Amino acid sequence: MIRGLWTPTTVGWFLLASAFPVVVALGLEQGVPGLARLGLCLVVVGLWQTAFRVSLAVGFAPASAIGALAVSVIAPTDVALLQVLLAVSFGAVMAELIFGGWGRNFLSAGIAALSFLSLSVPGAVFEPAGPGLALAVLPGAVMLILTGILPVALALAYIAVLGALVLIPGQWVLLSPALGTIAFVLVFLVADPVASATTTMGRTVQGGMSAALLGLLATGTSVPQAAIFAALLAALFAPLIDHGVITLKMQLKRSRRGQS
Amino acid sequence: MLHKFRKGLEISLKGAPEQAILPGNRVASVALFGEDFPAIRTKKTVVEGQRVARGDSLFFDRKRPEIVVTAPVSGIVESIETGPQRRLSVLRIVCEGDEVRTFSAPDSLTRESVTALCLVSGLWPAFLQRPYGRVPDPGMVPDAIFVTAMETDPLSADAHVVIDRHQEAFQRGIAALPLLTDGPVYVCQAPGSNVCDTGNRVQVETFMGAHPAGLAGTHIDRLHPIETRGTVWQIHYQDVTALGNLLQTGTLPGTLVIALSGPGLRQPRLIEAPKGAALTDLVTDELTDGPVKLLSGSPLSGCESSHLRRRNWQVSVLPRTPHVRATRWAKALPRLRPAAAIPTQALTRAIGPDLPTMPLIRALSVGDTETAERMGCRALLEEDLAVASYAAGNGQDFGKMLRRTLDLLELDA
Repeated sequence: MIRGLWTPTTVGWFLLASAFPVVVALGLEQGVPGLARLGLCLVVVGLWQTAFRVSLAVGFAPASAIGALAVSVIAPTDVALLQVLLAVSFGAVMAELIFGGWGRNFLSAGIAALSFLSLSVPGAVFEPAGPGLALAVLPGAVMLILTGILPVALALAYIAVLGALVLIPGQWVLLSPALGTIAFVLVFLVADPVASATTTMGRTVQGGMSAALLGLLATGTSVPQAAIFAALLAALFAPLIDHGVITLKMQLKRSRRGQS
Repeated sequence: MLHKFRKGLEISLKGAPEQAILPGNRVASVALFGEDFPAIRTKKTVVEGQRVARGDSLFFDRKRPEIVVTAPVSGIVESIETGPQRRLSVLRIVCEGDEVRTFSAPDSLTRESVTALCLVSGLWPAFLQRPYGRVPDPGMVPDAIFVTAMETDPLSADAHVVIDRHQEAFQRGIAALPLLTDGPVYVCQAPGSNVCDTGNRVQVETFMGAHPAGLAGTHIDRLHPIETRGTVWQIHYQDVTALGNLLQTGTLPGTLVIALSGPGLRQPRLIEAPKGAALTDLVTDELTDGPVKLLSGSPLSGCESSHLRRRNWQVSVLPRTPHVRATRWAKALPRLRPAAAIPTQALTRAIGPDLPTMPLIRALSVGDTETAERMGCRALLEEDLAVASYAAGNGQDFGKMLRRTLDLLELDA
């Protein structure tokens, strides 16, 4: 038996490489303090990974760094560092490591950490990021699509529903300043290859649902928070969506083939 | 009819065989492995040191004594190793002489006479029944028979070249197959070949696409799905040729055509060799420099073995990657579990039958028999998941997991 190209480690490094332009954008935007915060978040994730490697034999996964990056990019700069590190720890441990590490999780660590942060720090104001971040996300997104890691059906459904949403009067004004945040959330959190739905139809539904929820929630809260909650809710429904899609497909197949 | 298979992976490896049947090394010994005959409780009929002719019975099934396995060569039984539960582990024969046992071909071809001839000559285990992948009961009648007359495994032989050489025997074998079923006999071939004609319940189907387009699992899913019920048999084209030979001459052919291929060989090509041939004999003086490993079967689904296995028509010689010694640090830590398979486009395209790939693989990985059955694993055999194991690349063999699940499902059935 030989092994193919897309080993879990390779996929993880591809994810990290695709996130590199975002790190550069973060450095340009927030300077040394932003990069220092990212560094600290990465160290904390690394420490948790080491703890789980030693105690429960959970392997190191480079892709876990995406969670730390998501918090560093989206979390407000005025939140206490301890809060941020706590959120990163929550994401890494409760969403990923206790299930056996990256690949066995059903929720992306980044979504869990950011939801935790926005719930536990009520006063925090999530600043939307503009087209600069969107531009930084783009090359990574293209690479992930070309390598077959990013679920294309999900991203397309998300973009399609979002496109329909901005046609509603008032929505474009609301959503356009946060284009960068939305792009980042879509590529690195909603379209997480592991935790998103696994069937093409399921991915379409999840992507569409995520975008629709974003439109629904954006009127009540800041857009980045809305995007995160929409991603969280849709991700929680992903297994149910998959179950429904598979059951439906099997039934259709059987009735078409005339089997009971 | 032409079927386009849109999934699949192009796996390019060095060492593709020259598609011509050329001379190969002489083989000094052959071996038969008990595990190649699943669900057969072996009872041996020979002892060590006994002289056997080609076609002499070696062992039979305790539960279904009419199913026998016969010697692929004439020679002397060198050793018989027994495994757990007194099952046959491996039986080795040193080749010597050229005595052949001839079976009397029936005067009229009927279901009973063909079945009886296949049973007594030892050809019966060539049929593989789905679901579960067993040697079928002689009394059973399948809903359909699938002849795999194509190969898409990397570095495999071109079925067309092999069939061309034994055209007459192949046609005779195909003509006899409709006797064994009340349903159709599907002959699945690659584009550009015309292995036989349609008619008398024989249907020729052409499959186009990347591997696993040529696996019986893919063909069965398209033509006669068995996810929920039904039974089909599959047979390899070289076994059909053997059946044709048997009907004509009363003997089984002494050799089969195998693809001797892989980057570790100086001249990859097709050769003729007896069933169960010793792999080291086949590659003597043929290897390139450097350590290699010998696989019986394709680089994807083959296993490291001393001899050619049943249902393998390919020997792959691959470079052996040196074993990395664990450092003292790594030894002190708890042993790492295999990483989980990550859903990628490559993995989604890896399974031939139209099944939900990721949910199926996840169910198999955690041993969830019920979900795996719901996802349609009944329609699969180990070979169908070989590409998935390759694409996932996390070191897990999904085929083995599927075997465990199928064994449990069979107990329930």
